[in-house]
Amino acid sequence: MALHSLIFSLLWICVSVASAASLTGSRLLVVLEDSDLKATYSQFLGDLEARGYDLSIQSPKDEKLSLFEHGERAYDHVILFPPKSKGYGPSLTPQKLVDFTNKEGNVLVLTSPSGITEQARELARELEIDLPPRDFLAVDHFNYNTLSESEKHDVILIPRPAKADNSQNYFSGKEGEMIAFRGAGHMLGNRPLIFPVLSGSRTAYTYDTKEDFSYAEDPWVAGSQMHYVTALQARNNARITVSGSTDMFSDEFFAMEVQAPGSEKKIKTANREFAKEISGWTFQEIGVVKVAEVRHYLANTTEQVNPIVYRVKNDITYEISLSTWSNDRWVPFSIPSGDALQLEFTMLDPYYRLSLAPSTTTAESQVYTATFRAPDQHGIFSFRVNYKRPFVTYVDEKWTVPLRHFAHDEYTRSWDISGAWVWIAGIAVTVAGWMVFCGLWLYSAPPKKVEVSKKKN
Amino acid sequence: MAPSKTVAPANASAANVLSSVVNSYIDKTPQRTKLIDAFLGFLVLTGVLQFVYCVVAGNYPFNAFLAGFSATVGQFVLTVSLRMQSNTENKGAFEAVSPERAFADYIFGSLILHFFCINFIN
Repeated sequence: MALHSLIFSLLWICVSVASAASLTGSRLLVVLEDSDLKATYSQFLGDLEARGYDLSIQSPKDEKLSLFEHGERAYDHVILFPPKSKGYGPSLTPQKLVDFTNKEGNVLVLTSPSGITEQARELARELEIDLPPRDFLAVDHFNYNTLSESEKHDVILIPRPAKADNSQNYFSGKEGEMIAFRGAGHMLGNRPLIFPVLSGSRTAYTYDTKEDFSYAEDPWVAGSQMHYVTALQARNNARITVSGSTDMFSDEFFAMEVQAPGSEKKIKTANREFAKEISGWTFQEIGVVKVAEVRHYLANTTEQVNPIVYRVKNDITYEISLSTWSNDRWVPFSIPSGDALQLEFTMLDPYYRLSLAPSTTTAESQVYTATFRAPDQHGIFSFRVNYKRPFVTYVDEKWTVPLRHFAHDEYTRSWDISGAWVWIAGIAVTVAGWMVFCGLWLYSAPPKKVEVSKKKN
Repeated sequence: MAPSKTVAPANASAANVLSSVVNSYIDKTPQRTKLIDAFLGFLVLTGVLQFVYCVVAGNYPFNAFLAGFSATVGQFVLTVSLRMQSNTENKGAFEAVSPERAFADYIFGSLILHFFCINFIN
């Protein structure tokens, strides 16, 4: 057994040395039709390689290409670049891509107006992301790059998503940074698992470039209903990101200098940083959270941790330690200031829903604690932490404990309750009176004569 | 118990009736029955006091109220039973029960009652 674990830990060390910044693995399949295009995205792919990924660049038409080997995932992550042809080929059907995510593989889908394949569209439709038809283009006549030559205003400048104090700001970057985008916008359904990353401004819209005069009269989607980049985290925490543009990941856009209308200043795009962040998020580098430990015990005594049973009205302390993955190790995960991590104490429905407050921090995790008094209701309860937030691994931790009622000798003694003294006295007086009565009764036997005479009567 | 043998005039005033009842009680009731009546009166007083306290001060802890109040009520019931059995005028109804037997039963019942009440008040 010891040898076994030694070999295992040695193997583990080897694996960790070789592994990428991603928690779940380094095998990355890049589906690129034309290997000449590698030059177009050299910085993006180079950045991925620098973060430790083993890039495997393959053409979608390659007959040997398969996402699976012996029924297991052959890759941990996939990037789909849009092909020139109409489809990805038989090895990348939407069904197979969904199977891939069901096995916790991550997919980054890049589309371009001329390269939206049927497979990508069908996959996106399953996720309730509605990709536009071919040759539809997003434009914004108020937030475009004045330095680009096209009169179409198709190089849109998107500000970094605003920082919010109630969510993780993985994509917010610095103030004033701009992301250049050339592609199509898409629409989203109501699925709670999708998180828009970059969304259209009020003046942006997507229209059919084949129709000369459709422009603003009949846009396919417009305004803030239009989204450029959308992320989805499935229930098994596999991640899929759909981008309406591949150009934004190209060297050209990484190096582009842009100038917004009405602005005097040329600024460099933040595309490279954004590409790092969005690929990092998709490939489980960012926003990966785990529950390191759960402890619960009677408040003020840690003699017995995680006991198998509690009593009603016990004071219970619950602790949960959360860690988040950072490059190569686990670090403490902190909840945004405007958000709350909540503990539910439930039997069918929550009896308590309490905020867990940060208490101690270790090198690897942040401990959140709550102390409460168990309800006066016995039964099978569970401690539940259900923390599901955009861009963060879903945390749903459940620990079941029975809550027993008071044992017969655990009730407070009557004389310890001053309110009961009167009734204790009531019993005492009754008993004492009864004894006096019995004594008097025995000493007051009626004279026999009387009885005899009465009998005679 | 019977003040009925006293013959009161038809036009007697309420006060006369009352005093004749009292006199008849004093004269004709046996010593032991009077003793029982005194104890019953005491129990009624104790019970009323406990109940009033419960109404005024609240019923927490309720088991204590139940124990205290039912000790008094139970004792009252048992004592009334003793009174019925030991009354010479009820001889006909309890032929099989001698006064000694009635008193022994009474003590036995009372001890059980006290045991339960003390156990219940915890």
